[in-house]
Amino acid sequence: MPRKIPWIIKYRPRRIGDVVNQDNAKKQFIQWLESWLKGKPIKKAALLYGPAGCGKTSLVEAAAHEYGLELVEMNASDFRRRQDIKRIAETAAKMKSLFARGKIILLDEVDGISGTADRGAIDAILELIRTTRYPIAMTANNPWDQKLRPLREASLMIAFKRLTERHVVTVLKRICEYEKLECEDKALYEIAKRSEGDLRSAINDLQAIAEGYGRVTYSLVRALSSYRNREYSPFEALQKMFNAKYIFQAKMAISQANIDYDTMMIWINEHIPTYYEDPEEIARAFDALSRADVYMGRIRRTGAWDLLSYVFDMMGPGVAFARRVYRYRWKAFRSPQRLQLLAQTKRSREVREGIARALAPRLATSRSTVKSEVIPYLKIIFMNNPKYAARIALGYNLTDEMVKWLAGHKAREVLMYMEKLSRKH
Amino acid sequence: MSSREALAELLWAEKYRPRTLDEMVDQKEVVERLKRFVKEKNMPHLLFAGPPGTGKTTAAHCLAHDLFGENYRQYMLELNASDERGIDVIRSKVKEFARTRVAANIPFKIVLLDEADNMTADAQQALRRLMEMYTATTRFILIANYPSKIIEPIQSRCAVFRFTPLPKDDLIGRLKWICEREKVEFDEDALEAIYEIAEGDMRRAINILQAAAALGRVTVESVYKVVGLAHPREIRQMIQLALAGNFNDARGKLRELMINYGLSGLDVIKQIHREVFSQEIKIPDEYKLIIADLAGEIQFRLVEGADDEIQLNAFLARLAYIGRKLRG
Ligand SMILES: Nc1ncnc2c1ncn2[C@@H]1O[C@H](COP(=O)(O)OP(=O)(O)OP(=O)(O)O)[C@@H](O)[C@H]1O
Ligand SMILES: Nc1ncnc2c1ncn2[C@@H]1O[C@H](COP(=O)(O)OP(=O)(O)OP(=O)(O)O)[C@@H](O)[C@H]1O
Ligand SMILES: [Mg+2]
Ligand SMILES: [Mg+2]
Repeated sequence: MPRKIPWIIKYRPRRIGDVVNQDNAKKQFIQWLESWLKGKPIKKAALLYGPAGCGKTSLVEAAAHEYGLELVEMNASDFRRRQDIKRIAETAAKMKSLFARGKIILLDEVDGISGTADRGAIDAILELIRTTRYPIAMTANNPWDQKLRPLREASLMIAFKRLTERHVVTVLKRICEYEKLECEDKALYEIAKRSEGDLRSAINDLQAIAEGYGRVTYSLVRALSSYRNREYSPFEALQKMFNAKYIFQAKMAISQANIDYDTMMIWINEHIPTYYEDPEEIARAFDALSRADVYMGRIRRTGAWDLLSYVFDMMGPGVAFARRVYRYRWKAFRSPQRLQLLAQTKRSREVREGIARALAPRLATSRSTVKSEVIPYLKIIFMNNPKYAARIALGYNLTDEMVKWLAGHKAREVLMYMEKLSRKH
Repeated sequence: MSSREALAELLWAEKYRPRTLDEMVDQKEVVERLKRFVKEKNMPHLLFAGPPGTGKTTAAHCLAHDLFGENYRQYMLELNASDERGIDVIRSKVKEFARTRVAANIPFKIVLLDEADNMTADAQQALRRLMEMYTATTRFILIANYPSKIIEPIQSRCAVFRFTPLPKDDLIGRLKWICEREKVEFDEDALEAIYEIAEGDMRRAINILQAAAALGRVTVESVYKVVGLAHPREIRQMIQLALAGNFNDARGKLRELMINYGLSGLDVIKQIHREVFSQEIKIPDEYKLIIADLAGEIQFRLVEGADDEIQLNAFLARLAYIGRKLRG
C-alpha cells in the first residue's frame, strides 16, 4: 500500500507564483530578498507574521527554491537554546565562498519561544541578526508579544492576511482535479468558509473527508463542521497534537479542541494505534493517556480542578512524545468507533439498565452488581429453559422487550409460556 | 397466596435471603455481636466491610428486622449505590430523616448507606457532622467493599465489622439446603466445583446453582457450562492476541466483551487476573507476575473511577509490548 502523504505537503507551493492571495507580502518579501542578493539589504531580517496556514513558511521555502538558495531551517525542538542559535550564527557569519550556493536562514515560529526554558534565545537571535551574512527570515502568528519587541525592531515587518474564501476554493479545486475527486462546489465553499482563511486546515479537511468517504459533498462537510468554530475540530486537534514538534504545540492542540476533555480522550484512545504502529510507542502512548485518565477521575471525584493541567500534560505531550523518532505522519482520524458503537447499542444498553433497575432493589444490591453478577446467569436460564424463565419473568414483572433481550432466539417460547401461565391465573 | 404468585418464581438469591440474624450462615463473630446489640437495644454507628456476596447488606436488614420487627423498613432510610447520594442528598434527605422524632416503640432510627465506598469525599464529609449531631436518635450503618475509601473521620466514628468469604462447608451446606427445598438433583462434586469458582461469594454460588439447575441435574459439566457462558472465553483469546503483538485485534475483542456481554472494566480485569495464571497462557512465570502486578494497578485505578476502556487498552498495549520482547 502506498504511504499516504499529507496533501498540505504534496501541494506545497514550489514557486513563488504558487503562493496565492498574498500579493503585498510577496512583493515586500521579494524586494527585501533581492536587496540582500544585491549586497545592500534593506534590513537584515524579515519577520513574516499572520494567521496560521496562510503561506508564511511556504513563501520562504518557495523563494529559496526559486532563487536557488540553500534553506537553513531551524525548527528542531532544541533550536531555541542559546547555544543552538549561536551555532547557527557561526555558519551564518562565515563568508560565502565564490562558487557555493547562497543561503537563507528561516527561524520558524519565533512566538513559540519559551520565556523560561529558552532564556537567552532572543538575545542570541539579535546577535545572529547583527553578524549574519545571509538573510534571516522569521515567522510568527502573533508578533506583538512584549518579548518579541527587540526582534520587531530589528526586522522588516511583513504582514500576511487571511486568505479569501474565493482563493481557498481555487486551491481546493485544483487539488480535487489532481486527485480526480468528485467535489461539489458548494462543499468546497463550505470548507473555505469554515477555514476562516486558514488554507492548511481547509486542505486537511478536504483530505480527511475525501479519504474517509471517497467524495466531498456539502452534507458531509456540514456533518463534520458541526463541531468547529474557530477552535480545532477533533481530527484537526489530533493531527496537530500527534505531529507536534514541541510540547507547547501538543498542549495547545488539546486545549483548543472544541470538544470536552472526556470526549477528546475517547478520540485519542481510539487513534493511538492509528498514528503509531510500533508496539513500544503504542504502549508508551497508552501509558500516558491512562495517567491522564487517572487524574481526570480524581478531578471528577474530588473537584480538584487544579489537576487539570496534568491531564493536559499527559494526554497531549505525553501521548505525542511517546514516539521514538519524529516524523510528520498524516493520518485520517475518523470519529471513534466507541461513540458509534455506543449509539448503535444504545437501546440494548437501555434494556439492560431497565432490568438492572427492576432487580436491584429486590436483590438489595446495586445496578452494577446486577449487571455483572446476576444478568449473565439470568440469560442462561432464559436461553435454555423457557418454561422456568417465564415464571421468573412473571416474578419480576419483566416487560416483553426485556424478555426478548434476555432470551434471544428463545424469546417466542418464553413469551408463549408467560401467556399460558397468566391465563391459568 | 394467589395462584399467580405460586406460579411466579424468584431468583434464589432473593428467595433464600436470610430475614433474621438467626438465619445467617457463618460470619459467626459478626452475628454474635449484632445479636447483642439487639438484646441491649443499643448500638454504635456501624461499618460493614468485606468482599461481595458475603452477607453485608443482608446482615444490615436482618439487624433492623430483629430490632424493629416485620415493618422495620419504616424506621430505616436506605440509600444504595443506585440512589443519588451526593452531598445535596446528605444535607437534605438524610438530615431530615435524622431530625425527625423517634417513635416511642423503638430505641433509634437507622440510616443505611450501602456501597458507601462509592460516595464522594464531599458527601462523606457532610455525613460526618450528621453522625455527631443526631447520634442520640439515629444510628448509621455504612457498607463498603473497600473500607479504605471511607474517609478516616467516619471510620473512627464507627465500629468496624469485617465479613469474610464463606468457608467451604458452610457454603456447600447452604447450597444443599436450597437444593432440598427446590427438589434439585445434584452431584456432590458439582457443589464443590461451585465453591471453587465462587471463592466464598454466596451470591455468585447461588446464581450458578440456579442457572445450572435450569439446565437439568446439577453436574460438574453443567456448572462449568454455566460459568463458561457467563464468563466468556473471549477473555483468554484477548490476552493471547495481545501477547501475540496483535493489539488492534485484542482491542476489538475487548469492545465485544464490554458491549455484547455488558461486562464492566472491573469484571474484565478480574477475569484477566485469573486467566493469566492458567496453563493456557504460555509465558514465563516472571512475566506472569509482572502482568499480575499491572492488572492490580489497573484494577485499583478502575475502582478509583478511571475509564474502563482507556485503562484496559493501556493494559493490552503493555501486553503487546511484553509479547514482542518475549518473541525477541
Ligand atoms: N497563500 C498560499 N498559497 C498556496 N498555498 C498555501 C498558502 N497558504 C497556505 N497554503 C497551503 O497550506 C499549507 C500550510 O501553509 P504554511 O506552512 O505556509 O502556513 P504558515 O503561514 O506558515 O502557517 P503557521 O503560522 O501555522 O506556521 C501549505 O503547505 C500550502 O499547502
Ligand atoms: N452469610 C450469608 N448467609 C446466608 N446467605 C448469604 C450470606 N451471605 C450472602 N448470602 C446470600 O447472597 C446474597 C447476597 O448477599 P448480600 O447482598 O448480603 O451480599 P453483600 O455482602 O452485601 O455483597 P456486595 O458487597 O456485593 O453488596 C444474599 O441475598 C443471600 O442470598
Ligand atoms: Mg509556518
Ligand atoms: Mg451489598
